[in-house]
Amino acid sequence: MANQNHRILMVSDFFYPNFGGVENHIYYLSQCLLKFGHKVVVMTHAYGNRSGVRYMTGGLKVYYVPWRPFIMQNTLPTFYGTLPIIRTILIREKISLVHGHQAFSTLCHEALMHARTMGYRVVFTDHSLYGFADVGSIHMNKVLQFTLADVSQAICVSHTSKENTVLRSGLPPQKVFVIPNAVDTAMFKPAPERPGSNEIIIVVISRLVYRKGADLLVEVIPKVCRCFPNVRFIVGGDGPKRVRLEEMREKHSLQDRVEMLGAVPHAQVRSVLISGHIFLNSSLTEAFCIAILEAASCGLLTVSTRVGGVPEVLPDDMVVLAEPDPGDMVLAIRKAISLLPKIDPQVMHERMKKLYNWHDVAKRTEIVYDRALECPNQNLVERLSRYLSCGAWAGKLFCLVMIIDYLLWRFLELWKPAEDIEEVPDIVLPCQSDGESLKDCSEDQCLR
Amino acid sequence: MVGENWIENRKYTYRRELKWPVEAIDIHHVVVRRSRASRFFIYLCLVIGLSNAVFLVLSKHESVTILFWSFILSASLLKLFLWKPVKQESVIIMPALGVQLETHFLSGRTTRRFFPIGKILRPVLLECVTPLTCYWSLSLIVRDEGELMLVFKELRPPVKMLVPIWKALCATIDCKESPDADDG
Repeated sequence: MANQNHRILMVSDFFYPNFGGVENHIYYLSQCLLKFGHKVVVMTHAYGNRSGVRYMTGGLKVYYVPWRPFIMQNTLPTFYGTLPIIRTILIREKISLVHGHQAFSTLCHEALMHARTMGYRVVFTDHSLYGFADVGSIHMNKVLQFTLADVSQAICVSHTSKENTVLRSGLPPQKVFVIPNAVDTAMFKPAPERPGSNEIIIVVISRLVYRKGADLLVEVIPKVCRCFPNVRFIVGGDGPKRVRLEEMREKHSLQDRVEMLGAVPHAQVRSVLISGHIFLNSSLTEAFCIAILEAASCGLLTVSTRVGGVPEVLPDDMVVLAEPDPGDMVLAIRKAISLLPKIDPQVMHERMKKLYNWHDVAKRTEIVYDRALECPNQNLVERLSRYLSCGAWAGKLFCLVMIIDYLLWRFLELWKPAEDIEEVPDIVLPCQSDGESLKDCSEDQCLR
Repeated sequence: MVGENWIENRKYTYRRELKWPVEAIDIHHVVVRRSRASRFFIYLCLVIGLSNAVFLVLSKHESVTILFWSFILSASLLKLFLWKPVKQESVIIMPALGVQLETHFLSGRTTRRFFPIGKILRPVLLECVTPLTCYWSLSLIVRDEGELMLVFKELRPPVKMLVPIWKALCATIDCKESPDADDG
């Protein structure tokens, strides 16, 4: 365990009641860190009428700040609008370290910027892969370069993701750690009895969007159905590409062999997974892919595209990889079907338990926190030199942004001194036993 | 800070009164403190405003519009940053009858809200979050009301002033929670 107890503020635009990789990562990591005796507070934006302070399982405190999202669950970038509330939370919760999640989160970037201005150590976790060529990626990479210019440590979820982040942000590789995601194996257990082998069921659960390879599925499914008469597909998920899948089903008369479930609530993912034999992931880009961990934990053999960090996720005997090409995908499915008799779901589940657990992720994250707190604290002038190296024009602009931020912070120190902000007493809960699994948070558990 | 009957900070003073008969009426006052600095700033603003007006009147450019707008601007700035129209807020606890909440304005006007004892389900100390700040607030859960009733509508006294009021309300309403529990 770490030498000292940390007081961590997790910041991201993506958190419960949303469900996804980032949301789960923050939730489970926070729960484990709380078990280790650290204080963890989460800051996110309000979701509908869910605003204010809420407490979740294990005494996890969440600030749902009443800033409304404006696009894709992201708050409007204001640069300085969040400074007063972030400063207040940092002081009242006696925070020692700020941990931001996801490069796409506006709130994360702003929180890290303000925290550095106030002299706090910051850690950033990147959960996605980004390109270099399109306009959106170029802008995103510049923002990332700005944020990471003064970050204490960074974490990536795979080695591919680390390479991508280092290239995009210009961050020294020795500052970037690789800590993979994990899976709640208590939640994703195999079925007591394996589904019948007279027909092979291939499960697909993903958002039906271009990035997740929905167009690839449109071509793969008819070919597989033609080659294997005993194969049936269950497709869970929703998105703009759902129409194309529906059209494909009509065109090839596969209504009886391709079941479209629509959006699947996170609590029901396991029940869909255990009804199948093979899990198919057709993503075109993926930093890690938690979905294949969940499938493997449920005892399914995975067929996946060889993209991003996917090859790093599972051992070779648990996954069949293919190029993101319909022909190669069909061959991979053929190979997976031949391997099915050798697969024991219970054995696979036990292996997953050892390979991927949040306890281990939290232990490794603790080491990063310790390293971050060892970093020397630099004054404004030293920090500005880092921003200047971000580009001929961008560097000067970043310096200006940080100088204004510093002046605003100093003004707030005069306007509302730190001693006027009341510190919050810590809630101490009786510790859960280490063997106890982390249950997913339901509405009833959340509100105490 | 002098006991639990008198608490002070830079902005507010908390005072507790117990009134006859048999100290049955429990009154808690939170009074706004006017600091010397803010008074000085108000007078300075007024002096600058008046000198500006005199200058505009005496100058050859008879710019009534500029005069008018300068007054509007200084008045709005004064109101925005310094002018707190509330003098004090009080919580009057009458165990047999109920709780009366009073807001006293500088103008002399007073607003009162009364909640019968039977309608108050529980007093609660909450953390409130606004887009810019976080603070503690004391509210009442009232039967047949869709929303929490804020005890202090205008002021934001610190939690050390709210706790004794919360304890007194708990004792009166006979909460399931012990008022002697941890002050958090």
